[in-house]
Amino acid sequence: MIDPLLLIVYVIIFPGFVFLLAYALFFEFLDRKITARMQHRVGPPFFQPFADLIKMLGKEVIDPDGVDRQVFDAAPLVALAAVMTAFLYIPVVWTSPLAFQGDLVVVLYLLMLPTVALFLIGWLSRNIFSAIGGIRAVTQMFIYEVPFFLALLTPALMAGSWSISDIVVWQQEHLWFMFLQPIGFVVGLIGLQAKLERTPFDIPEAETEIVAGPWTELSGRRLALMHLTNDVSLVVGSSLIAALFLGGPVLPWTMSPVWLNWIAGFLLFLAKTLAVLLILSSIKVATGRIRIDQLNRIGWKYIASAALVQVALVLIIDYLGAAA
Amino acid sequence: MPEVIIPIGPQHPALKEPVNFRVIADGEKIIRLELDLSYNHRGIEKAAENRNFIRVLPLLERVCGICSHSHSTVFAKGIEEIMHLEIPPRAQYIRTIIAELERMHSHMLWLGVAAHEIGFNTLFMWTWRDREEVQDTLEEMSGNRVHYGMNEIGGVRCDLTPVQVDKALSRLPNLEERIEKYVDMVNNQKTMLLRFKGVGHMSKEEALKFGAVGPTARASGVDIDTRRDDPYLAYPEVPWNVVTDTNGDVYGRTRVRIGELFESIKIVRYCLENLPGGPIRVNNPPKIAPVGEILSRYEAPRGEVVHFIRTNGTDKVERVDIRTPTLANWTSVAMCLVNQNLADIPVIVAAIDPCLSCTSRIAVMNRNDRKAGVITMDELRKRDRTCRIKLDES
Amino acid sequence: MNQLISIDAVQEMMKGIGTAELVRYNRIRVAIAQEMTRKAVSLVMGPLGCDRLITMSTADNGDTFELIYHLTGPHQMVISLATGLPREKPETESMSDLLPAGIYERQIHDLFGIFFKGNPNMKRIILNEDWPADEFPLRKDWEKGPDTFYGGIKGEKI
Repeated sequence: MIDPLLLIVYVIIFPGFVFLLAYALFFEFLDRKITARMQHRVGPPFFQPFADLIKMLGKEVIDPDGVDRQVFDAAPLVALAAVMTAFLYIPVVWTSPLAFQGDLVVVLYLLMLPTVALFLIGWLSRNIFSAIGGIRAVTQMFIYEVPFFLALLTPALMAGSWSISDIVVWQQEHLWFMFLQPIGFVVGLIGLQAKLERTPFDIPEAETEIVAGPWTELSGRRLALMHLTNDVSLVVGSSLIAALFLGGPVLPWTMSPVWLNWIAGFLLFLAKTLAVLLILSSIKVATGRIRIDQLNRIGWKYIASAALVQVALVLIIDYLGAAA
Repeated sequence: MPEVIIPIGPQHPALKEPVNFRVIADGEKIIRLELDLSYNHRGIEKAAENRNFIRVLPLLERVCGICSHSHSTVFAKGIEEIMHLEIPPRAQYIRTIIAELERMHSHMLWLGVAAHEIGFNTLFMWTWRDREEVQDTLEEMSGNRVHYGMNEIGGVRCDLTPVQVDKALSRLPNLEERIEKYVDMVNNQKTMLLRFKGVGHMSKEEALKFGAVGPTARASGVDIDTRRDDPYLAYPEVPWNVVTDTNGDVYGRTRVRIGELFESIKIVRYCLENLPGGPIRVNNPPKIAPVGEILSRYEAPRGEVVHFIRTNGTDKVERVDIRTPTLANWTSVAMCLVNQNLADIPVIVAAIDPCLSCTSRIAVMNRNDRKAGVITMDELRKRDRTCRIKLDES
Repeated sequence: MNQLISIDAVQEMMKGIGTAELVRYNRIRVAIAQEMTRKAVSLVMGPLGCDRLITMSTADNGDTFELIYHLTGPHQMVISLATGLPREKPETESMSDLLPAGIYERQIHDLFGIFFKGNPNMKRIILNEDWPADEFPLRKDWEKGPDTFYGGIKGEKI
């Protein structure tokens, strides 16, 4: 294990929490700028997400009559803590020092917590729009989680390990999983878009139908923290896909000074997560929102079956490989 | 979930103007609807009885922002018919050009709003960007982007110079190219098709039974268009077609409106190229109208606008009864929303292109204290930018 | 599109119910009594070939209220059925089962006070809910009461 002081620096500063927050705000800026330019608009300046965060933190917190104040205060904190913790297990420079067998499952579990928090906030808001939004969030979660998990399961199957860092190292010696499992890659991207509740899957927060869904009664620092959770989830999701399918922050060879590997790995990490962001933003710009019942139909008919096909293919290849 | 009452309005992100729908829903399915339209009522019909014909035109123009030219034209042509005035052909053509440009900008606005309602903000941004070309043309011609004030009793207020005509003609090919792209998008974009097809379906019999007008009715196959049924302005001389569709749902209404966009471009181009010479207004139109009654009809962007005008031999109207297209379409919306999904309410409501300023026209105004709703002559003169106003105040 | 119906055909059909006159090349005005409204509407919607209601107009004529139904059809002729209602008791039958007149009748009731018997939903539609129940603003003799509360926030001077 590495030096405890270095571990603390890793966790808190780089590439831990401070770097994560900065990168999340940068991602939000990029997402908004790309969207705006594709829509023939100018888009926000560079520091806009940071300014928005500071502004929202300073606003008044409004409690609707009779809501449970403690849960309302706790839920955004829990959601933010969950996604920030999930980032610790994702390889940023080479492999993660906190990796262990099964950390893929832990990351996926932690990424689910924001949706549950959102549902809780929506349900407890004593507001019909929030209740409908919360129900939609959980329904959507049921629909996309199965294909998403299956799609992320197949790299683990082929690499023979439940640790993200091991999967990344496996890809260093073999091909990227994007080429070996293209169906899984596509299903993973779609599932990620649904997890992050972005168009075409921004059903829980459908502005023109239910005001803001579960976000309606959030204000002040609660809204700031949930917003930040959204941004951090975007980073964590993109880097998860980048690690599992695009090879992660490892070069196909190791170089002599160890720290040179880390710099190269970090640059690769940036490049790959930005590529995933570009794909996600393009999907967001090019589509409109679909209804929850249409998502139900599409999700189970096409996306889940595609994921199952991918799993079946991997099992067959595995069996043939073992038999040969 | 048991029956729940969901308030849509009077403040709601899906609505651009205040209306109160109380939706009684079971889960995501709508059971019935209750309608309350009183939020924008301004007292225009009553106020119009106290103004002479020159002052009542700007008032009637402000019934609605987007169909402003419709209301003032339908009133002006009604009064001119009661007075037996013959309008010079150049004025008719200019009125037609402004009317069709208004239809174009209204339909493009609608396309953007419908896309926004389904969360497809890209199309919203693009259509509104192209709409700016139409607005630029209107501003060059009349001095304003809405509320053009082009009509007078007896003709139009200002003329079109050759420079304006050329500029307007040069913008049309670009618009046509962009609208082709929108046709392509509407027919092929998967999420738009998913949200528009099969939503808010209304058969031809239902459209007639509920009294729908305009593109809402034409999308269900009802072949009514006041420009052809009760011809006025320059429409008898211009070659154009009525656009109908048989789909009857929101997709059909989108196709009808885009088809009308193409037709409007054709009409504008024809009128601009064949603008007849001559005066633009009648010299010294009469200030007093004989006793009479007329039902004046006009095809506004949203449907048929009807002014029932009765005069009594003075220089004011005795009664002007306005029936706007959105009022006629509300019944059809309330009926075709039943058994649809909650998520489709904004799309279906947006599909009739609701204009609540037109629908409700009352409020109590204390005219001694406030100037709201009254634009004085001096203010009109100050706002004149590109045209000269020659009006008498009697 | 059919030909415009001739004035003679309409006069023939309306014998005993009202008198028809051609006021414009495409509009025929038929003056009928209030009791004959339903019969006239069914005649116009049936044999005379009209299939939709354009609008319902009202005017205040001093001692009567005039209520006019404008109907048209594929023949492009507008038939206006004009009835007069006495000012003291302006009541007539609702046509909301034959025509989509429900929304117009609610509006006319709010503004003029004409009551439509048989309309299933005679609630306020165009005036706000605080408006006093017996003031009808579009009547010629209506004056704004100086102290009456018409809606909005009490005590706020507009």
